[in-house]
Amino acid sequence: MPPAAASNLGYTPPDGGWGWAVVFGAFISIGFSYAFPKSLTIYFKEIQEYFDVSYSEIAWVSSVMLASMYAGGPVSSILVNRYGSRPVVMVGGVMVCTAMVLASFGTTIIHLYLCIGVIGGFGLAFNLQPALTIIGTYFHVKRPMANGLAMTGSPVVLSTLAPLNQFLFDSFGWRGSFLILGSIVLNCCVAGSLMRPVNKNASPEPKAEASECNGAAVEETAGTPSANLLTEENQSGSKSPGCMDKFIDFSLFKHRGFLIYLVGNVVMFFGFFAPVVFLAPYAKHLGIDEYSAAFLLSIFALVDMFIRPATGLIGNTKLIRPRIQYFFSFAVSYNGLCHLLCPLADGYVGLVVYAVFLGLAFGMVSALLFEVLMDLVGAHRFSSAVGLVTIIECGPVLLGPPLSGALVDIFGDYKYLYYACGVFMLVPGIFFFIMHYFNYKRLDEEQRQAEAVDMRTSYHSCEEAVELKTGRDDKTVPETEG
Amino acid sequence: MQSMKLQHGMERELCLSVCVIQLWMESATRKLQGDTRAASLLQLKGEGGGLVVLLHDAASRETRKRSSERPAHRGDRGIIIMSAIRKQLSFQILLLFISCRNINTKTLGATAPPLDPTAPLQKLERSYVLKGDSHTEKVELLNPVSLVLMCTWTGSQNKPTNITGFWSKDGKEIENSRVTVQLENKQYNLKRTFSIASEADLGSYSCDFGGEAKINFVLAVPQMGDERDKPIVSYLGDSVVVPCKLDDSKPTPNTWNWYRANETGKEQIIAGQKFSIKNDEKKTKLVIHDLTADDSGLYYCGAVYGVGITMGRVELKVISFFEPLKPFIAILVEVIILVAAILLYEKSRSKKDYTAAGNGATDQTNTLSSGENNGPEESSSMRQRKV
Repeated sequence: MPPAAASNLGYTPPDGGWGWAVVFGAFISIGFSYAFPKSLTIYFKEIQEYFDVSYSEIAWVSSVMLASMYAGGPVSSILVNRYGSRPVVMVGGVMVCTAMVLASFGTTIIHLYLCIGVIGGFGLAFNLQPALTIIGTYFHVKRPMANGLAMTGSPVVLSTLAPLNQFLFDSFGWRGSFLILGSIVLNCCVAGSLMRPVNKNASPEPKAEASECNGAAVEETAGTPSANLLTEENQSGSKSPGCMDKFIDFSLFKHRGFLIYLVGNVVMFFGFFAPVVFLAPYAKHLGIDEYSAAFLLSIFALVDMFIRPATGLIGNTKLIRPRIQYFFSFAVSYNGLCHLLCPLADGYVGLVVYAVFLGLAFGMVSALLFEVLMDLVGAHRFSSAVGLVTIIECGPVLLGPPLSGALVDIFGDYKYLYYACGVFMLVPGIFFFIMHYFNYKRLDEEQRQAEAVDMRTSYHSCEEAVELKTGRDDKTVPETEG
Repeated sequence: MQSMKLQHGMERELCLSVCVIQLWMESATRKLQGDTRAASLLQLKGEGGGLVVLLHDAASRETRKRSSERPAHRGDRGIIIMSAIRKQLSFQILLLFISCRNINTKTLGATAPPLDPTAPLQKLERSYVLKGDSHTEKVELLNPVSLVLMCTWTGSQNKPTNITGFWSKDGKEIENSRVTVQLENKQYNLKRTFSIASEADLGSYSCDFGGEAKINFVLAVPQMGDERDKPIVSYLGDSVVVPCKLDDSKPTPNTWNWYRANETGKEQIIAGQKFSIKNDEKKTKLVIHDLTADDSGLYYCGAVYGVGITMGRVELKVISFFEPLKPFIAILVEVIILVAAILLYEKSRSKKDYTAAGNGATDQTNTLSSGENNGPEESSSMRQRKV
């Protein structure tokens, strides 16, 4: 089993109890982060007429919001490293609320760019990162399940916000709706208040028992944490506390697993969102009416909603957990295959089948996306890792749909879009498979070496400890008395 | 019978005399040979052989001047001919039809044509072959036209040689439209020309074959697409854009008008300080500035075509800013309550934990097993000693 890098946390995560409340809080935060920009598109038509601008100028609001959300990742990571998850999420919630309230009084389109786009985007970034980070601190054994459940927030909140937004728009127009949405988003503060910092002194240390030196069993449990520590350090160089803790951990760039993840993801994101964005237009292009095309998206969202916790559950099983990276690689490759086969889908029934498979694929990748990162770098450095990953992913996420749109415009046919997206996902999938195979081999080797070294050192220290213990026993009595 | 025909003839006289005067004026100004010919031919025009000859001294003088070949001798006296000289008559009737098309022989009466009498009407033909009992056909009209409607019926089981057919508009039979239709090639044919010049002329025109079969032609301007059934909401003091759109498949109207509904129907909106209208072919926008509560209500956009106006309807609702403020404050209060509750709950829990842990720690320091506080101390001291 590859070293579960998180077990060098220095404590045992509760894996339950208040952890589930934290998962619920993360569910809400992540849900708002992903679903909020998408759900605002309902207002665009009326705002476009009110300000008398073209559709692409309005669509920029959504893009700026998404870009700020991804760009705010590192800032968010720094703050989480410094202050913990809870204050950052609450500040994020207040920021988005203020942004929406200011936007409801907006008089020009630039107003909207700044308020909703920049401030709102940063606020959402302050929601996303901490929510992901805190799951890593609360869960270790059940972490894939917790991650899967938390990521389900995205489709659930989207399917709640969409009709709600329509209702608000019909009752209050766009200004009033923005005001009320500001207050709804404030519920992220409630989610943040649930994110109590984990109690790190809760359970006794297996490491501390090493001083007892009772047989090999104890040595092993003592060995693995320190071995992990050693292997982590071997991989990334010495991690000195103090300055590094306050800012981003740039030494991650020397981390093998992190680099694999980063490279694969950057390529993958070019083709990740585009098929979903173009599903409805493709259906209309094939001659399907507007309502049936919208229904395809509902099917997709429904399947997505159920597959995320299911993936988390599967990822938790004894069979998959040790090799969860392979599961992720499989999910990405499966996505690619789906897109490549899409042009063969004929008529409405074919598209429905495609929507179901797309929901399966999308949900699987989304549920595992951050779990595998946690698995690679450990919960300690996850916060910095996710910050770096999101800002680098910003590019492909923003460029993907417009590039695909350009493909459609040039060739006039959607099948090239799906071929391109399929290739963009299949290649990283295969890349992941190969690289992780080598990575696992290396990690196993390193662990064996580290264990061997550790056994020797713990043997020596055990001897010393035994001596010291006999010596200290004489000393401790006067200490407690004094 | 004859007297009735005479009466009809008198009416026709009036109409025809008007036409003749028009023609005379036309010929004087335009100097078209065909028109003077038409003037004389007009005298001979009739249906089913009935002809009326009217005052045409001027016309006949013209014809003599132009030395036309027309039988000018017929023009000297007012003669009512119930004759069987069909060949000449039919030939002349044909010529009349061809050359006289710019004259309105309106038998329907009430509304005067608002169009320029000098502009020739476009000719449009619509026909339908009916095989069953009845059928409705939609005809979309933009500009004033001279519409020829042709109905053909294949007949029922028994096919009588003669059948009485007539035309009706909006359910009411058109006067003088009853004719006897002959069975030709196993079909009955009805044909009539209508002049559609204004909105009053639109409606449902039907040709009826002896009460057994009927074809309806519904004449209308292009209709507006599906309308927004929910009102547009805006705020006091704000401005609002009220849009109206025609389907892309419909033709472009000449212009757009906006109307406001009030007690006495619709009142046209004039662009000014408060209202501005922006037209863009198939779309139009009404911008209302400085909204007040009075501005709520129904607004109508009208797409103006040559022959009529098609209406779309939009409702506007103006509310004050306090309306959305109420739910906002309600949710704000709910969030504050929840956050406070969760934090307080946590405080009370942690106090209990702290006191419990504190007791536990003091117990454990007495024994040498790893207490939470002692653990790290021991290992650090261990390390120190190792070094």
